[in-house]
Parts: sequence; structure tokens; C-alpha cells
Amino acid sequence: MKEITEQIQTIAARLFEEGKIDIFIAWEQGELDFQTKAYVARSKEDAKNLVFNEYAIYNTANMLLKFRDGHERIGIAVKGCDSRGIVRLLEDLQIKRERLYIVGIPCPGLKDPLAAARNYGGFNRQTEPDSLAGKCLECIQPNPVICDEIIGPEQSPRQQGDRFARVKEMEQMTPDERYDFWEKTLSTCIRCYACRQVCVACDCRTCIFDEMKPQWVGRESSTTDNMMYHLVKHAHMAGRCIECGECERVCPVNIPLMLLNQKLIKDVGAFYGGPEAGLQYVEGAKPPLSVYRIDDPDSFL
Amino acid sequence: MKVLNKSKLIEALNVLSSQQEVFVPIQRESQSGYFSWADYQPERDELMLEALNVYQSPKNVVLPQTERMYGIISQGMEVDIDQTFEDAHPTLIFGARGCDVKGILAMDEVFLTRGFVDSFYQARRANNTIVANACYAPGPNCFCTAMEVDPVEPVGADVIIHDCGDYYAWEARTGKGEAVTAQLDGLLEDKEVKLPSAQPFQLQVDYQGVAEKLKDMFDHSLWDQMAEPCINCGMCTYVCPSCYCFDIQVKMFGEKGYRFRAWDSCMFEEYTREAGGGNPRGASKERFRQRFLHKLEFFQERYGTPLCTGCGRCIIVCPTDVNIARIIKAVKEAEVE
Amino acid sequence: MNEAKKGMAIEQPLIPTVVEVIDIVDRTPDVKSFFVRNTDGSGLPFQVQPGQCGMISHLPVGEAMISCTWQEEQEYLEFAVKRVGLLTDELHRIEIGQKVGVRGPYGNGFPVEACKGKDMVFIAGGIGLAPLRSFIKHCFKHRQDYGKITIIYGSRSSADLCFKEELFDLWPREQDTQVFVTIDNPEPDWDGHVGFVPAYLEELAPSPEGAVAVVCGPPIMIKFVLQSLEKMGYADDQVITTLEMRMKCGIGKCGRCNIGSEFICLDGPVYYLEQLRQLPAEW
Repeated sequence: MKEITEQIQTIAARLFEEGKIDIFIAWEQGELDFQTKAYVARSKEDAKNLVFNEYAIYNTANMLLKFRDGHERIGIAVKGCDSRGIVRLLEDLQIKRERLYIVGIPCPGLKDPLAAARNYGGFNRQTEPDSLAGKCLECIQPNPVICDEIIGPEQSPRQQGDRFARVKEMEQMTPDERYDFWEKTLSTCIRCYACRQVCVACDCRTCIFDEMKPQWVGRESSTTDNMMYHLVKHAHMAGRCIECGECERVCPVNIPLMLLNQKLIKDVGAFYGGPEAGLQYVEGAKPPLSVYRIDDPDSFL
Repeated sequence: MKVLNKSKLIEALNVLSSQQEVFVPIQRESQSGYFSWADYQPERDELMLEALNVYQSPKNVVLPQTERMYGIISQGMEVDIDQTFEDAHPTLIFGARGCDVKGILAMDEVFLTRGFVDSFYQARRANNTIVANACYAPGPNCFCTAMEVDPVEPVGADVIIHDCGDYYAWEARTGKGEAVTAQLDGLLEDKEVKLPSAQPFQLQVDYQGVAEKLKDMFDHSLWDQMAEPCINCGMCTYVCPSCYCFDIQVKMFGEKGYRFRAWDSCMFEEYTREAGGGNPRGASKERFRQRFLHKLEFFQERYGTPLCTGCGRCIIVCPTDVNIARIIKAVKEAEVE
Repeated sequence: MNEAKKGMAIEQPLIPTVVEVIDIVDRTPDVKSFFVRNTDGSGLPFQVQPGQCGMISHLPVGEAMISCTWQEEQEYLEFAVKRVGLLTDELHRIEIGQKVGVRGPYGNGFPVEACKGKDMVFIAGGIGLAPLRSFIKHCFKHRQDYGKITIIYGSRSSADLCFKEELFDLWPREQDTQVFVTIDNPEPDWDGHVGFVPAYLEELAPSPEGAVAVVCGPPIMIKFVLQSLEKMGYADDQVITTLEMRMKCGIGKCGRCNIGSEFICLDGPVYYLEQLRQLPAEW
């Protein structure tokens, strides 16, 4: 990974020198090993701060939302999952392809800095395993799907066995059992909206949950309002979730959010087929639930 | 000194629980916070008195995340407020660390002083007792002493317990504390105790002069830099033991309903958005700056103490590694024109 | 809890009193005045000073902080409400006889005592006249306490001018009083002044000597009026304005209406410019 770091730094410095970019988005090293976070370099000198290490898990594509209204030409380092986020933003016309110079990193699988922070912080009774992050063990796309330059050799998907095993288990439950499970699970939500804020596919300018006129979802942290929040959020993710797993990773009460997303990935795949969200970029192409046709079946109406 | 033998801890919690609702630090499956001892199930819950702390602070005992205020009946032209929901049932927070006790003291200042008394908070707080768990071994993100907290003898505690290995030394500090002590008559023993010695802090934070310096740093470039990774989720504000901002909303079911308040977060865009659409803190950086200035400058100016208690929770949970201790340090080191 | 620090005696400050709307008057296409008093007709739920506010609640919908534009003795409280959001939209639909909630009074109000003996220059834009009106009417009620009164008021169009009867008929007839009205754009039937308030103010140039200027209006108007006043020689302790922020509790607890360490609902909304200059530039 040291080599990748050096190459990112070299490429970013070169791009700044050639005047091709105004900023470069990647990661920087915090004080402690696991404190790796998103970073925006603004000059050739800043490029020295860029790193890629085993904790560079944050989805850099999410950072693009901070720059979507600007005109900066942006260099950005992406892993497989991050690159799918970029495809999502391109499809949703949130950023123009010509503003981006994408440096792809085939990802070897990373560790979760939050798990490390919890282990280090002393609040945990049992330390969490110091292995690859859960989301990385489920990874089907470690290699960038869109990039202008690539660093390092291709990596193989790490997902093993039946990808939808957990979903199928859930499908086997009776509706009542399922309801009880989600009622119990979602009742713990503290409505901090970290799952929404960290989501690159959540790119609406005004989120439905911030609408006050009318107010669609109540503010109470009650099971009803919590369920409404999660069901609406996840329904919006149908055909859009790029499976980066950031929502589940950052959740402070460990709600298995990817289970909902995976169910939708499975269903959207079964109903509409085609490539999954963000797996390939075709200019002008739209994910299944982002288009409306007059002859769409509407027997449920 | 009185002591509570750890072998009698469960019994003591049961006795206390028969007199008032007792909130204890618990790891409950994936959650970690203060939960009612009455709901304790050993197969599901782990008592966390010996851990450094739990992720959710005990502030929900005096300021629940959602709290009904009053009932409304609305029938066309006629409306009425048919009941109020002030909750005065006795509660006991058992095992709070000094940082979290300080958080409640900060909320006391907000809700009980400076003009108006918040009757909902007052009802809960007047009937709330705090048994603090003296902290002798600070964690790597702890800096409470820098924020005017005494971790071993926290101000505001009604009782302080000291973990001495096989037993807790039990020290009543107030009238309320004496009353709780009396409830445990027969369970407490007298014993000569040797209190543990406090270990040094791993994290050095110097808050001296920060509030004053921040007065001239509202437009400092530091905020652009510090706020850059922040995604404006509300996690830091919700795990914080002293963040108290709330929203007031209404829920109606036909003609009946109620007004309630719920925790809010200065991190959310909607928090300061005005009815006409304007927003004085519309930008991510402006909200970020508000949070830290409130913690480190504004609260100090208004109430004479910082609103950060140095518990370290936000440092641990932040998905983008925003770190208030580093911000304090950066403010200290910043050059101001 | 420190008993000595306990605050003032409204026992349940967050719980409104139910009052009756005894009259509703259309002021402009999107501003209505609501007149309220106790449901048994026995007077008012609370007394207000000029510039203070009340939290008006259409109980099944929500609450909003509204400046009280006038208290008529023990007869009624008048709130002029512009339709801008969810709650005000619903309020505009109610009819006379509707029961609503009010709580208050909130805020510091205008320094009516400190202004005694001064020439008063009131400068308002749009709905910003509503708070100033309580001060203006107070001055007329105690006419001998104040010097010359100048009122400069503007809005987008003639239809958007609030309190027209007072502007064009009642106030100009008061002793030693001048009222100047302007609209943003020309209109066929308008023979008055056309132009923005700050420019009109500079043109009229009321003397700063022995005067106090009181300003209220949209933020952008306030910003330019303050610049104009400075240019005209008004010192920071001769300029008073009222601020607006989103509010929920009204009693300095819920957090959102702060500017620096000030809570606008409790410590404001009325400030001298010299006080505002001490605050972070978020106003």
C-alpha cells in the first residue's frame, strides 16, 4: 500500500503541475494509524499528504457532493465501491464527467477505522476483530469500474458463497416474524441520519426527511417514525444502492442496513435484470427505477 | 466508610429499582447506553459499570429523545389542551461518570436558569438522583479535567461510588444521596477502605484561554479546513452528554393529538431554516462552526463553563474523524490577525 | 439544582393559553392581522411591551413566533402574520371565532424609555412595519415624550403596503410627524415615490442630531439601511434594529436562534447596532 500511496502522490502532483486539476480528493493520515479520512488536496504541496492505507475505507465519491455546484476540475482516487458511486453521480447528472480525472485503485480489502476507534476508545468490553471490514468481505467489485488511470494489479472479488444468503433467510420468515425483527431492530435507531449523510446515492438536494411543507415523516424517535424513515430511505435506494456498505459501517447502533439494501438489489435484479447500480457507466443510461415510460405496468394502481 | 460489596450489587439495584426507576449503563445487543434496570435481562444485557463508559450518555433520563408535552383536542373552531405530560416519577442514574454528570449540570443551567424555568425538565430533574461512578483510569480520548470536571469527585453527584475491586466505597454527598443510601440499609457495610489511585490522562488538552481566543476566530480559515470531512450527520450531537437542543412538533390523529419535543441537531440543515426558506447557517461549514463555538465559546460566555465535558464519545463515533480535542489544540495554535 | 437560580414565574412556559380570534383583517394579499383575547372575554392572556413577541399556535398544526403589532389596553392583542410557511399558511385559513394558542410575552422589546426626548426615525420594509408599528403607536399615545417622528416605509408593490389607513390617513395627521412611502417598481396608479428604501432614506436624509433610527425589514434591506445610516452620520448607539431567526421554544432553551452567545428569542430581538457589532456576523 505504500507503493500505492507514492503513486497517488506522484499522479496528483503531476496533475497539479500540468494544470489539469484544481483539487485532488483522496485520503490523509490522521494522528493514529486507523485515523485515515477523506482529504482534499489543493496544491502540489498538499499532494504529499495523500495516502492509501488499510483504513482508507471512506467512500471518496461522497466528497464530490460537496463540490457538485462548483467548477473545480477534480482529481479523485477511487476504490471499486467508490467508483460505482461516481457512476451513480454521473447518471444522476450531479457532476460532469469532464470535471473528473479518476485514479482507480484495485482494492485489496480494508479495515474499519470506526471499529478500530471503538477498540481504542475503551468503551467496548470485547475488542472487535482486527480483520477486514464486514463490507469488504462481501465485496463483489474491488476493481474500479470507471477510471482514467489505474494503480496496481486487479483484485479478485472477496464475496464467498451465496451472496444473498442473509436475504433468503429473511425471506423464509413469516411476515409476522419479519415485522417483529425489523420493529425490534429499527426501534433502536437514534435518527442521527449518518446512514443518509454518508451515502453517495443519497444525492437529493433537499431530502424528503428535511421537507417541512408537508412534513412526510415525524421527528419522534418512535418505532413508527423510525420505520417510516428506513423504509422510505431504502425504497429510494432500490436500483441505486452501490453496495459500498458505508451506511451500515457508520451506524452507531449497528442496524443491519445492508440487509434491506441487499433485498432490494436482489429484487430489482429479478424484476428488471441488467447491470447493478453503478457497475457500468453508459452515458445517458438510467437505472431501472429512474425512468418512467407510459407503458409501464401499473396494475397495482 | 460505607461500602457495597459487589456480590450484593444486583440485590442493591433490585432494591433501588423498587423505589424509583434506576438507569444503569448496559450493553444491550448492539446498543450501549443507560437503560432501565427493570428491563434488565441477563441473557441479553451486560452491565457496564466496569467499562470506561457507554456510547449513549444518561442525558435521556432527564431529557428523553422524544418527550410528549401536552395533549390537544381540536374540533373545528374549538381547541383545547386536555392534559400535560410532565413526568415527575422518581429516577436514579446509577454509575454515571463525572463527564456525564457535568453534562447534566450544564443542562440544569440551560433549563432551570436565565429567565424561564422549563417545567418539563424541572419535573424530571427535581425527582432525579445521581450515583456517580468515580473514574480513576481515564481512556485514550478522555480529557474531562481540561473541561472543569473532577472525575473522582464529580460535582453534582448525590452519591459517589468508588470501585475498589471487590466492593464499591459508597459516599453520600447530598440529602438526595442520603435518602438513596437509606434505601440500601442492610446492604451497605462499614469498612476501612483504600481508594484506588488515579491514573494519568493519556490525552493532554489545554482549554485555557480558548473561549477568549475564539471571539476573534469566527472567520478564521481553520473552520474551512476542519469542517471539510464533516458530513453533517447528527451522531456527535446525539451521543453527546451535554447537547440539549430540541425541536417542538405536533402529531395529530384526527381530532386528538399531542405536542412533543425531540432532540434536534445543529448539524442538520433544517435546524435553522426559516419558514420563508432563508437559512443563516445553510452551509455545512457554518453548522460545523456553530457546534464547536457553542461548545467552546458561546456556552462559556453565557454560563461560565464549557459545554464540552471531555467524555470523548464524539471522537470515537465520528465517521469522518472530526476530533474536538484536535480542534481545541488547533485553536490554541492558530495565528489570529 | 441550584434553587437560588430559579427563573421567572411562568409556571409552564411552553404550554400555550387557548384564546379566541375575535377579528381578522386582511392587510395585504399575504398579510392578515389576527386579533385575540381570552376565550371568556375577560381580557388578555398576557401584557406586551412594544417590540415583544408571542408564540402563536394553531394547535393541530404548529407554532410560530410573531411580533405583537399592537396591544389595545385590555381589549385585544394584534398579530400581523405574513403567509410564508406551513403554520402561517394554515393560520390564513382560519375564521373569526377560531380558538388558537398563544404564549408569551417573549423578547426584550424596544427601549421606549431610553428613546424619550429623541427625534424618532422609523424605517421599515414589507412586514417589517408590524413590529415597528407597536413602537410608533406607543409614541403617538405618549406624543409629548418624543420629538419629531419620521416614518419611512417601502414594499415591493402598493398592494404589499401594510396598514394603509394608518400610513396614508391617520399617522400623517399626527403632530410633528412625516410619513414617506415608497414601492420598488412603478405602477400605473401610483403617484408616490418609487425606489428602494435605503436610497429613499438617503434622499430624505433625516438629521442624526438628537435622533434614533429604528429599522426593521427583510435582511437585505436592513443591511443596506444600516450602511446608509452610517453614511448619514448615525452613530451605532443611535440605531436600533430587530432580528429574526427560526425559533421553537421562545424561552432561550431549544438552541437554534442563537447569534454568538445571545438567544434572539430571549435576549433580543431588539438590538442597538453597537451591540450587534459585538456579535459574530451571522445576523
